[in-house]
Amino acid sequence: MNTKGLLFDIQSYSVHDGPGCRTLFFLSGCPLHCDWCANPESWKLSQKVMFASSKCKHSKGCTRCKSSCPYGAINFCDDELIINWNLCRKCTTFECTKACFYEALKLCGKYYSVDDLLKIMDRDRQYWGENGGITFSGGEPFIQKEFLLETLKKCKERYIHTAIETTAYVDTSSFLEVMNYIDFAFIDVKHMDRDQHKKKTGVYNDLIFENIKALKSSNWKGRLILRMPVIKDFNDTHENIKKIVTFMETLDLFEINILPFHRMGDSKWTQLGYDYLYKDTEPTSMYTLEHIQSIFLDHDIACYIGHETLF
Amino acid sequence: MSTKKKLAEILASKGLSINFQSGGVAPPEMIDREINKKPTPRADKLRNIYYDTLSSANTEFPYWYTRKWNELEGEVTVVRRAESLKCAFSHLTPVIFPGEKLVMQKASYYRGSFPMPWLSEGFFVAKEDELYKDALERGSASSDELSKFGTGGGNVTESFGNVVSIAGKFGMRKEEIPILVKLAKMWVGKSVDDVGHKYEQMVPEYKMKENIMRTLICMFDSGFTLPQGREVINYYYPLQYGFDELKKMAEDCKSKVAGRADGDGLVGMDRLYFYEAVRIIIEGIQTWISNYAKEAKRLATTEKDSVQKSEYEEIADCLEWVAHHQPRTFREALQLSYIVHIGCLNEDAISGLSPGRLGQVLYPWFEQDMKAGKITENEVLELLELHRVKMTCIDCFASMGVVGGVLSGNTFNNLSIGGLTKDGLSATNPLEMLIVEAGITCATPQPTLSLLYDEKLPEEFLLKCIECDKTGTGYPAWMNNQGGIQFIMEQYGPEGMTISEARSFAIGGCLETSPCSWKELTLNGKKYSIPGGSGQPTSVGVHFIANPKVLELVLTNGKDHRTGIQVYPPHNHKLDTYEDLWYTFKMYYEMTCDCLTTTNNIQHDIWRRHNMSVFSSMLKPDCLDKGHHIGHLGYRYNGTYNIESCGTSNMTNSLVALKKLVYEDKKYTLDEMTTAILHNFGFENAEKIGSYSLADQVKLPNGDNYDDLYGDCLLAPKYGNDDPYADSILKEYEDWFCEMCHNYESLYAKPLYACQISVSTHGAQGRATLASADGRLAGTTYADGSMSAYPGTDKNGPYALFNSATVWDHTKSQNSQLNLKVHPSAINGIEGSKKLLELTRAYMRKGGFHIQYNIVDSKMLKDAQQTPETYRDLMVRVAGFTQYWCEIGKPIQDEVIARTEYEGVM
Repeated sequence: MNTKGLLFDIQSYSVHDGPGCRTLFFLSGCPLHCDWCANPESWKLSQKVMFASSKCKHSKGCTRCKSSCPYGAINFCDDELIINWNLCRKCTTFECTKACFYEALKLCGKYYSVDDLLKIMDRDRQYWGENGGITFSGGEPFIQKEFLLETLKKCKERYIHTAIETTAYVDTSSFLEVMNYIDFAFIDVKHMDRDQHKKKTGVYNDLIFENIKALKSSNWKGRLILRMPVIKDFNDTHENIKKIVTFMETLDLFEINILPFHRMGDSKWTQLGYDYLYKDTEPTSMYTLEHIQSIFLDHDIACYIGHETLF
Repeated sequence: MSTKKKLAEILASKGLSINFQSGGVAPPEMIDREINKKPTPRADKLRNIYYDTLSSANTEFPYWYTRKWNELEGEVTVVRRAESLKCAFSHLTPVIFPGEKLVMQKASYYRGSFPMPWLSEGFFVAKEDELYKDALERGSASSDELSKFGTGGGNVTESFGNVVSIAGKFGMRKEEIPILVKLAKMWVGKSVDDVGHKYEQMVPEYKMKENIMRTLICMFDSGFTLPQGREVINYYYPLQYGFDELKKMAEDCKSKVAGRADGDGLVGMDRLYFYEAVRIIIEGIQTWISNYAKEAKRLATTEKDSVQKSEYEEIADCLEWVAHHQPRTFREALQLSYIVHIGCLNEDAISGLSPGRLGQVLYPWFEQDMKAGKITENEVLELLELHRVKMTCIDCFASMGVVGGVLSGNTFNNLSIGGLTKDGLSATNPLEMLIVEAGITCATPQPTLSLLYDEKLPEEFLLKCIECDKTGTGYPAWMNNQGGIQFIMEQYGPEGMTISEARSFAIGGCLETSPCSWKELTLNGKKYSIPGGSGQPTSVGVHFIANPKVLELVLTNGKDHRTGIQVYPPHNHKLDTYEDLWYTFKMYYEMTCDCLTTTNNIQHDIWRRHNMSVFSSMLKPDCLDKGHHIGHLGYRYNGTYNIESCGTSNMTNSLVALKKLVYEDKKYTLDEMTTAILHNFGFENAEKIGSYSLADQVKLPNGDNYDDLYGDCLLAPKYGNDDPYADSILKEYEDWFCEMCHNYESLYAKPLYACQISVSTHGAQGRATLASADGRLAGTTYADGSMSAYPGTDKNGPYALFNSATVWDHTKSQNSQLNLKVHPSAINGIEGSKKLLELTRAYMRKGGFHIQYNIVDSKMLKDAQQTPETYRDLMVRVAGFTQYWCEIGKPIQDEVIARTEYEGVM
């Protein structure tokens, strides 16, 4: 019962991640490393430092972080703060985040007990309204399966509606065990081709499809919507879309939510000291999205663009 | 087939029924309304004129008023005042602008007003004038120095050409200045300000009061600045009887009371003079209207364009009728209500005269005209848009400290919608839907809208209100109807308030819960119950105590270090426990309330003797029944005076930081803390930086000494995070404050009560306050309102903030105020509207009294600060009102930017 979970964010009044108004829990750790990822801080199951230069007050005279760093990883150059990330990533004490008043240097990730989350749910459920609940997102929530499962069991005892946003990249028995406690799921399908999938996400897609199939043939009562981030020159081809259609038709899946690519993850990559491959890529055009949507609709598959999912 | 329909079909075929319309049938056209709507061409044209018009003042009204007043020396005061007002009204030059359907304005300019030297004569005279210097000697001038107006828009902040800038806002033709100065000099020693000042000095604590004003612990005196307002007007009598009938009633009453005391040996005889004054003021108003009717006729005879010509004729016809009789049509009723409104505003310096529940007041005419096919919804919508433009053109002439620092140039003609009927049913109606629609199509700051949220209101209406909020204008604000009723019952129960009467309440000013009553209106034989104001002005009495500033002076033993003034007698307490600190804070606070109550009581007493309202009095129950004006307790409800606070969040956070760091953790001594505060934690002064936002402050070259302490102050628990440590301090404060206010008595021998709105004073009072223990730096703006978190300190989202805000009972206070920014992506489409409604409803159900939304990009605001001329029509929500961005002062602009900037996507 003393399981702790590592979360990198909690959002109240979240309105696009399941029916109604919800509280969203972002769990750290992800088996996939997608090149376009918007939450790169979720990849590793550990705490880490993020640096938001826009909040840094060094130009207004603040120098507190430099002396707090035991590795000498912080330097100033022309009014700017420069971090030696190789040194920084060795750190486990994160002194600089305590020295910074302004949350420019911020500790990403915080450990919570199941009870901690339940307290937050008790606080928030009075405001959700009739259709709301909680959503687990990430990262990949299954990475912290024990914590997830324990929390979900408690939610069900308390009549809380549960949703998950998952890659489904997890062993099938764990997957099905957890899904028993889930009312609503978004499962990502990044590409139908296993090699292409491996190239851009780091893993093959076989397990994901197996799990979706297993879920469909189980007696799971929840609602499943597939999700696909539309990535230019990767999964937006006619061929790939047709394959998804076929896959969905085979399993009698009839809902998909296509998400336009956006660059909002860009600053997070920078804050973690990484380069973002997609920093110059344009957001997906409405034309492309509507074209993809029309293909799905022609096959009687309900396809929602962006935030327009009908809950 | 549309995509939406196709989606629905697919889902239905799979047996997945999506409840597209949960909670009622949503209007199908809602999706389209995401797009900005446009006003009708007529309203658009008139609103464009407004955008290009400057605030202008002239001396016509004060000239005729003063002339008559001087003639009538020796006359009974109420009659003398009525005659002076009549004379002034009768001489106002009528000006009608082409395209108008609703006509008349305060003065002869499109956006015109005038000074009232009989209230206060010193402040509008040019700086070099002796009179102004005299005014400067007094404490009240300090708020002028620290209040900054926006420099764009229609404000005349500097003189140019033949136009002289007065009070930092109004332009006056140069040749009128000598007249103004001459008029002003005639009132020296006679104005409410001067006479009140003579007597307030007899209060033993007067010196302390003066110092409190000079150091801006209190923002302004109310007796001679804005003696009326923050109340709900009552249009009932003219709408029911018409002016001829009312005049006749006054004559009849005179015969009944002449020479009879009827058991009241003190003021029973005064009834005769009041009824006589009523007769006189009615004649003045009638002449004023008739002059406009004549002007319309004159214009019609010379007009070549046949459409315009017939419109002038319609205007003349309408005015001639409403000058004498009960209105026959919706248009006449709206025109008359507007005339009555500006009539009151010309009688006295007033901000926050609310039309009240206008959609319920005018419903009888709307209903009958619609039924008879006399008017269409589109025609009503156009009239309501024109009403918005007219109300927006209203300016209030007061000193810069009041108009800029407190009001941000706003006049708070707050229109209430929703609420319950006398019988406890939903009170909204189709006319209110159109009022909201006009607020969407013709977005203007006036009248702002307040929704009296009740569980009984229909979903369609609530979603309409959400849609209006989504346009970004910030209105309607959401008020808790049941909470308001409870407050009204508590405060006015002793004066005979009943539950069914309490249901008639409306919001006066920006969010002042005000007592009203029902009156039976008969139109063409059909009876209606209509609500209208029945109480005295609120937000009079003790105006805006800067809570963080009082705490600052506890730390400095009563001395204000910004000015060097010893404001309070030194307490010489050791302050070695938190309880002692809290006790001393309460002690200084109570001293403040006491001396401000007594001095303001004197000012208001002089006002009621020399400057009592006649026109406003005759409109409100039960003056005509009792034969007494406002000053003789003619109104039904008189316990309206209150104590206003400002900076609650910063004060709470400061108390929390002191309790934690000094008294519990004992990490720093109180002396160390005070020294750090006096040294602004090692930061440069905000004035020098030119920004009043915490985010822009700069460290001094050798300012590192206080770093650790400053960091601990910033990291101390903060209000707004559902943290019981911080919230319990707020609760302790609120429980004390709401009770403590009852210990003071207004001049009408009624207890004061708590009022918790900041309007714009969090800018000016923040500028006068040193750094505070919550980590706020010297001179920077406080958090707005009372329940808004300080920018950047609420880190757990809106639900946690709601929990913190509702740890105390909001019905113990006239109001509370919570500003929230919601990211536009969260509220897209019908689904988004429903979710915003869910959020709002959840807060109301928790017992929150007020919430309002600001939906605007901070990048745009920053750009607008640089180039105001390109953002003439950009509006933002400030504390309890909507105002053009370019017309608000920089400290408040900075606060609004910080507020939006700090918050991420929710």
